[in-house]
Amino acid sequence: MNKTFARTWLVIVYLFLYLPIITLVIYSFNDSPLVSIWSQASLRWYRALANDSVLIASVALSFKIALMVGLLSVFFGTFTAFVLAKYKCFYGRTFFFSMATAPLVMPDVIVGLSLLLMLVSLQHWLGFPERGLLTILLGHALLGTAYAAVVVGSRLKEMDFRLDEAAMDLGCKPRQVFRLITFPLMMPSLISAFLLTFTLSFDDVVLASFLSGPGYSTLPMVIFSRARLGLNPSINAVAAVTIAVVSVTVIVSSIYHARTQRKRNHEIAMRYSDGSQ
Amino acid sequence: MINHFKKLFSGKNTIILVPYLWFILLVAVPLLIVLKISLSEMSATSLTDMLSWSQGWPTIKINFASYLFLATDPLYIDTYLSSIKYALLTTLICLVVGFPFAYFMARAPKHLQPMLLMLIMLPFWTSFLLRIYAWKTLLVSNGIINNALLSFGVINQPLAMMNNSFSLVLGMVYSYLPFMILPLYANLSKLDVRFLEAAADLGASALKTFWLVTIPLSKAGIIAGSMLVFIPAVGEYVIPELLGGSDTLMIGRVLWDEFFANNDWPMASAVAVVMMLLILLPMSLFNGYQSEQAESKP
Amino acid sequence: MATEPKPNKVKTDLLRVENITKVFDGVIKAVDNVSLTVAQGEIFALLGGSGCGKSTLLRLLAGFETPTKGRIFLAGQDITDLPPYQRPINMMFQSYALFPHLTVWQNIAFGLQRDHMPKAQIAERVESMLKLVQLTSFAQRKPHQLSGGQQQRVALARSLAKQPKLLLLDEPLGALDKKLREKTQVELVGIIEEVGVTCVLVTHDQEEAMTMASTIAVMREGTILQTGTPDEVYERPNSRQVAEFIGDVNIFEGQIETYAADHVCIRSEACMHYVMHGISGHVGLPVAVAVRPEKIVLSKERPAGEVNWCAGEVVAVVYFGDHTIYHIQLANAQVIKAQQMNRTTDLAEVIAWGDQVYASWSSLAMVVLVQ
Repeated sequence: MNKTFARTWLVIVYLFLYLPIITLVIYSFNDSPLVSIWSQASLRWYRALANDSVLIASVALSFKIALMVGLLSVFFGTFTAFVLAKYKCFYGRTFFFSMATAPLVMPDVIVGLSLLLMLVSLQHWLGFPERGLLTILLGHALLGTAYAAVVVGSRLKEMDFRLDEAAMDLGCKPRQVFRLITFPLMMPSLISAFLLTFTLSFDDVVLASFLSGPGYSTLPMVIFSRARLGLNPSINAVAAVTIAVVSVTVIVSSIYHARTQRKRNHEIAMRYSDGSQ
Repeated sequence: MINHFKKLFSGKNTIILVPYLWFILLVAVPLLIVLKISLSEMSATSLTDMLSWSQGWPTIKINFASYLFLATDPLYIDTYLSSIKYALLTTLICLVVGFPFAYFMARAPKHLQPMLLMLIMLPFWTSFLLRIYAWKTLLVSNGIINNALLSFGVINQPLAMMNNSFSLVLGMVYSYLPFMILPLYANLSKLDVRFLEAAADLGASALKTFWLVTIPLSKAGIIAGSMLVFIPAVGEYVIPELLGGSDTLMIGRVLWDEFFANNDWPMASAVAVVMMLLILLPMSLFNGYQSEQAESKP
Repeated sequence: MATEPKPNKVKTDLLRVENITKVFDGVIKAVDNVSLTVAQGEIFALLGGSGCGKSTLLRLLAGFETPTKGRIFLAGQDITDLPPYQRPINMMFQSYALFPHLTVWQNIAFGLQRDHMPKAQIAERVESMLKLVQLTSFAQRKPHQLSGGQQQRVALARSLAKQPKLLLLDEPLGALDKKLREKTQVELVGIIEEVGVTCVLVTHDQEEAMTMASTIAVMREGTILQTGTPDEVYERPNSRQVAEFIGDVNIFEGQIETYAADHVCIRSEACMHYVMHGISGHVGLPVAVAVRPEKIVLSKERPAGEVNWCAGEVVAVVYFGDHTIYHIQLANAQVIKAQQMNRTTDLAEVIAWGDQVYASWSSLAMVVLVQ
C-alpha cells in the first residue's frame, strides 16, 4: 500500500477523533456566554465551576460510585473470567457465557429498564433497596463485570496453567495456588480492569438516569440535563478538566508501561551475552 | 466418603455459583421481568399482578395490548426500521473508515503501534457525553464550524448540519469508531505476513491478495467489530437525543419517552422486548465469535 | 549409562504400579493395564512415540490425573488417592514452569515454604541446591533473565529441594540442541546420582533413554511392550514392534528349517541364517530374523561359508560424517541397511553407489522374533 495514502488516512481519522476534544478545551477559555462565538480568552467559566455546588456534588457522587463499581466489577469479573477459563464443562455453561457477554452489547436503555424493573419488584417484595446510590451501583457493576471479565479473561488465556500444576507438585493446596501464583500474575490486568470499569461508571448517563432516585444526580446526569437545554459554557470547563486529568493519566501510564517493556526486553537480550549456559 | 461430599459443596461449585447468581440476578431475572411487565397493564399507581388466584386455581392474566399497539401503529414500525437503518449505516461507515485504519495501524512500524493504539484509546477514556456535546457546539447553525466557514466566505448561509440525519450519523460513527477499530486491529496485527507473501509468491497482485487473503482472514475481526457497533447502535439513546431531530426516529428515544415521559411501563417493556428480538440474531453471532475467541490459542 | 557402574546393592522396590488404566471421556484409553516396578536409586525411562501414554502415566504418578483402575504404591504406601501436594514426589516440567514473578532463590524455596520449614533451614537447603546446579551467583535473577539451560537447572534444583522419594522428568533434554544435549545429559545424570534420588523419566528420544536410564520401558498405545536394561531392549527385543521402534533394523522373514537345542537355521528369501542360540519353536514355524545395520560387514569379496551373508547392489549412500549407511538392494528386491564406520579419510577406496557388494554378519548378531 502506498505509504502516503496510509499516513494521510491515519492522520485524517485521528483529526476527526480529536477535533471535538480540542474545540472543547479551546472554547472553555472563551469569555462569551455564547459558546460557539469567540470573544476573548478568560478563566471565567473555571471560576464559575468552583462555585457550582450542584456540579461539584455530582462529581463527588460519581467518584464515590465509580470507586466502588471498580472494586465490585474486578471482584465479580475475575470470578467470571476464572470460571470460564478453568471449567470448560459445567451445567449451564453456555447460558452463563451468554449472560456474561450480553451486557457488552445490549443497548444501555434495555439494561437500564430491565434492572430498574427488577429493583422495583425487589423493593415491593423486600422493602429495599431504595432507588439511589445502591441501585446505580448495581447497574454500573453489572456492566463493569462484563468488561472486567473480558480484560481479565484475555490475561488468563495467556496464563500457563502448568504453573498451577508445578505449584501443586511442590506442595501448594489449590486455594494457595490462587493466592501465591495466579493472583500476583493477574495483577496488571486487574488494575486495567479497575481503571476501565471506573471510567465506564464515571461516564455513564443512561443507566444512572434509569436507576437513580431523588437527590442522587451523577455528573453525567447533570451535564446531560444541561446539554439538552442547549449550549452551556460550564460544560466546556468541566470537559477541559476531565480531558486534562484523563489525558495525563493515560499518557503517564502508557509511558510507564512502555518503559517497563523496554527494560524487560533489554534484560531478556542481556541473558545470552552472559556467556554461560 | 465425607471427603467426596465436601468436595461437591466447596471449591469448584462455590466458585461457579458466585458469578452465576450475580448474573442471574442482574441479567436473567430483569429480562424476565421486562417480559412479564410487557404483558400486563399499567394501573395508575402500580402494576396489576399477572398471577392471581380465582377459586383456588392460579390464572394468568396476559395482556397483549402493548404489543398490539406496537404492531399496528405505523409510527412504531417506522421507528424500528429507522433505528435499524441508522445502525446499519453507522456500521457500514465505521467499517469503511475503520478497516483501512486498522490495517494501516497494523502495518505501521512496530515501535509506533503502542502509541497509535493509545491515541485511539484516549478519546475512548474521555467522557463520551462530553464529546457528543462538543459536536453540538461544532455543528449548530451558529456553531464553530459554520462560523468559521462563514467568516472565511466559503458559504453565505449556515449549513444545516444539526438535528438531522447528518448530525446523528456523524455522532454515531464518531462514538462507535473505536469499537470497530480495536477488534479489527487485534485481528489484523496477528495476521501472519507470510500468508500475504505466499499469495504474492503464487502470483497474486496486491489488490487480489487483499480481497482473497486479507479480508477472509480478518472475517472474525470484521464480524466482532460490526456486532460491537450495530447492536448497541440500534438502541442508542444519548446521541439521537443530543444530536438528532424530530425526524430522526430512534427506538431508544421512544423507550425512554414511554418510560419517563408517559410513565407507561408495559409499553416501554414491550418496546424493549421487540428490540431484543431484533438484535437476537446479531447477538448470537457475537456470542459465537466471543466463544471462538475464548477457545482459540493466544 | 554414562558414569562408572556402582557395586551391586540389594535393590528394594520404591515404586510399584499395579494394573493402572486411565480412560478419558469414557472412550480414550490412554493407559491400558500397565504394571511396573522401579527399584530404589534407578533411573527408569518410559520410551515411546507421541500418544503412547507415557506422559499420562507420568501425570498419574505425579497426581495430576487419577487412574480409572489400579493402584500406585510408593515405598509400600498406597498413594493412589493422594493429591499431588501430598505426595513425596516432585516433577521437573518440560517447559520448566518456573514462577515468573519469583526470583531463582524464591522459586527453589517455594516448596520448602509450603512445608513450613524454619527459615534458617530453608536458606541452608536453597544454598546447597544452588551450589549443586552451579547457579549461586544467579540467585536474585528472575526467570526471564536466564538462558534456557540456566532455567532448566533452576527447575531441577527446585524439584530436588524437597528431597523427594521419587523425581519425575518430563522430556528433560527435549528442548536442547544436540551439542547442549550431550553436555546436559552428563550433568543431569551426575547430579541425580550425587543426590541418589530415584527417577522416572519420559521421552520419545531413544538416545536420551538409552544414555540416561538404567531401565527402559518401551510403550505403545497405552501398554508396555518390553522392560529391560538398554542393552536388553536394544539387542534382545522381544517383538518386532520393539525391534523396529529402537534404532534401525533389517528384518528377514523366513521359516525355521533346522531346529536344535543350541542353534537354529532359518531360511529367508535372501539367504540362510544360522543363529547360534536356541529358541522355542519348531521346524516350519514362520519367524523374522532381525539384524541391526551396525552388525553388518560389507566387502567386495565373496565371504566364506554358506550362511549369514547375501549379495546386492548399493542403491543409496547416506553420509553422516563419522559413519555411512549404505542401502543395499538384494536379489529379491529387499533393501537392507548396513552401517560402516568411516575408518579412512580417503573415501575413494570405500564402497560407492552402484557397487556390487556382499553383506555378512556373525551368527551371534541376529535376533529371532516370532511373528
